Amino acid sequence: MQTPQAVRDDLFRGYQTGTFFDEMFAGEGELRPHYAPLHEELANMLPAEFEERRRLADSAFLLQGITFTVYNDGQGTERLFPFDLVPRILPWHEWDVIERGLSQRVMALNLFLQDVYGPQRILKDRTIPRSLVYSCRHFRREMIGVEVPRGIYTHVAGIDLIRDSRTGDFLVLEDNVRTPSGVSYVLENRLVMTRMFPRAFQVYEVMPVDHYPLELAQILRSLSARPSDPVVVVLTPGIYNSAYFEHSFLARQMGVELVEGRDLIVDGDIVYMKTIRGLTRVDVIYRRLDDEFLDPLAFRSESLLGVPGLMGAYRAGNVALANAIGNGVADDKAIYAYVPEFIRYYLGEEPILKNVETRICSRPDDLAYVLEHLEELVVKAVGESGGYGMLLGPYSTSAMIEDFRKRLVADPRNYIAQPVISLSRVPAYDAPASKMAGRHVDLRPYCLFDGEKVIIVPGGLTRVALKPGSLVVNSSQGGGSKDTWVLRRGSGD
Amino acid sequence: MLSRIAESLFWMARYMERAEDTARLLDVHYHMLLEHSPQSYQLRWEAIIAISGETDRFFKLYHEANPHNVFEFLGFRDDNPNSVLTCINRVRENARTIRDRISREMWEDINSLYHRLRGFRPETEIAVGPHRFCNEIKFGSFRFHGVTDDTLPHDEGWQFLKAGRSLERAETTAHIVDAEYHQLLTSPSSEADVNNHQWMAVLRSVAAYEIYRREYHGRIEPEKVAELLLLHARHPRSVRFNISTLHTALQAISGSGPGSYATEAERLTGKMHESLLYDRIEDVFARGLHLFLTDLEKTCRVIGEQIARSYFYYAVVA
Repeated sequence: MQTPQAVRDDLFRGYQTGTFFDEMFAGEGELRPHYAPLHEELANMLPAEFEERRRLADSAFLLQGITFTVYNDGQGTERLFPFDLVPRILPWHEWDVIERGLSQRVMALNLFLQDVYGPQRILKDRTIPRSLVYSCRHFRREMIGVEVPRGIYTHVAGIDLIRDSRTGDFLVLEDNVRTPSGVSYVLENRLVMTRMFPRAFQVYEVMPVDHYPLELAQILRSLSARPSDPVVVVLTPGIYNSAYFEHSFLARQMGVELVEGRDLIVDGDIVYMKTIRGLTRVDVIYRRLDDEFLDPLAFRSESLLGVPGLMGAYRAGNVALANAIGNGVADDKAIYAYVPEFIRYYLGEEPILKNVETRICSRPDDLAYVLEHLEELVVKAVGESGGYGMLLGPYSTSAMIEDFRKRLVADPRNYIAQPVISLSRVPAYDAPASKMAGRHVDLRPYCLFDGEKVIIVPGGLTRVALKPGSLVVNSSQGGGSKDTWVLRRGSGD
Repeated sequence: MLSRIAESLFWMARYMERAEDTARLLDVHYHMLLEHSPQSYQLRWEAIIAISGETDRFFKLYHEANPHNVFEFLGFRDDNPNSVLTCINRVRENARTIRDRISREMWEDINSLYHRLRGFRPETEIAVGPHRFCNEIKFGSFRFHGVTDDTLPHDEGWQFLKAGRSLERAETTAHIVDAEYHQLLTSPSSEADVNNHQWMAVLRSVAAYEIYRREYHGRIEPEKVAELLLLHARHPRSVRFNISTLHTALQAISGSGPGSYATEAERLTGKMHESLLYDRIEDVFARGLHLFLTDLEKTCRVIGEQIARSYFYYAVVA
């Protein structure tokens, strides 16, 4: 029989922090204090015990059907979003900075959208070039002059943060203010973790996350033009959408109907849903359908997912949509470079969270620089998300680089470039080696805006690049997720 | 309740019932027929395919009916829209589209049945025989109804589940009686002894063998089997029992009181229930069993259409 001493450190044998900011270790073998109790619990565990919990966690996810759909070879297959059992822990003082920074940023993004679809002060002042805004793929002229309920555009924002290994500071990598997904994983991951590591939750004071659906429901209800007992629904493209699980999860948690386009009908600028008792008026739609599919009369006419006449009802103020139509102009990757400027312009404050330094290829100087330095840079298409349309210079073949060079020259407006940021790492279980290894992570907190203040459930989705050395955390590219623990003030410090 | 959700609940229950019915048929006949001569069993396998309503499709895929390919066809083939696996896939698909409306336990139960069935390999199961596979479905269906009754509010959605299941079951039982009567009474080699044996299988396939023994005591006679399966008031698989359940469910959905009706589906169901309630088996035979059952099956189909017309696809005045 092995003594506890012999078991110790088995999972962490040979663990290397490398040249990265490791969130558990300040240096080789030197634990950061807030990770000490967790490390203790893991270090006393045999790989086989850990494996067993991992199997239990996986089967819990599979049984609940917490899967996403991947489309290759034309056939959709359901896959588990890999879940890593080692939580990512953020002490209160770090979270405090993130929370204040995100609140500020979301406020500024909302003000920008109000402005751009309203008086356009920022364009008249030439703080941002009009041509850049108007050439955004997701800019919607139809929205100019439309009054959105309570002036809220960004009801839900998912802001992607990364921690720069050189400074240890969090930077904003990307804003997502259209239909950001992933929050269901935040809640489900937590539920599974409390079952797998009940003891750790007794040692740490982890701030809860499960009030998210209630907060969201409250905001949605507040948007209704009919204040008493409004009917709120979640609009999904259907079960073949990769985020379908989340749509049904949120509807269920908020206690509202999950509808598809075919359940809705618009008559006289009023939206109804078809029930077994006839038509019922709908007041608020939390739509998880992209702008261009919402209404075949206003946008893509071939869309079968949307609701003919919805835009008219929205414009007439008879139905509220969350998020607003046209938000894509604010999370365009070229506009992103201006967000710190928005914060100064609209709020008169200095940004608390910095951007990653960004070159906008539509500017001739920037383009020249980017073409010079393609091997060192990350180049991204401005309207894409999910890790598609991207060149990782240092990890690409010269053929791939040349291909991007042509694309850049042909359509510079469509690209931005950033230096490769060395993302921080957190230990994750490396199954083939049955031990822990450092893996790169990012963080997507979910920010709700109620018209006055920004509400953020503590933490968010930590995505982890599970392939050794990989920097890409997207689920479509082999990434997984971790539970994110924000510690209450005074816990774990 | 959204029309689409009501429709999914209705069909979820129908597909679950269809999977169970097919599994029962397959299981019972497979074991009984193994004891028979090849000649008579070949005929009987064709009858089972006929009951499933897929004779044409079957003979496009196979040139003869034998235990192996019947099992493969009814159990596993995804190009057979009524195979057990296709039905279970559809149950899960329907459950998935409304998983925000069914209980977490229901979803987990359906999902785990689905994943267990995906673990079955046709080649292995064909080699060991269908019992294991069929039992998994049978008990999967029992569990589905148990979990549903215990975790889903008994509201209108639950009534749609009841309606779907009872309509499917009434139709299937009627169809089995019709097909078996035709098959067993017209087949030239139907010796009294063989018949008895085969009627036993019919009873077993609708879980009615033990009830028959208790109620009728004597040897198995086709007329009595028909009486039990069509007119019995308490046997949960008799046509009358299911039409009565369907009638109650439809009335609960529409809220119409006793002696009245709100939809065409309700009217037809009520009328059929009356006839099953007051007719004796002699009356049925006097009219002609086949005619009676053909009418009944047709009415069941119309009821299904009328339910859809009243609740799922009604014309929207816009």
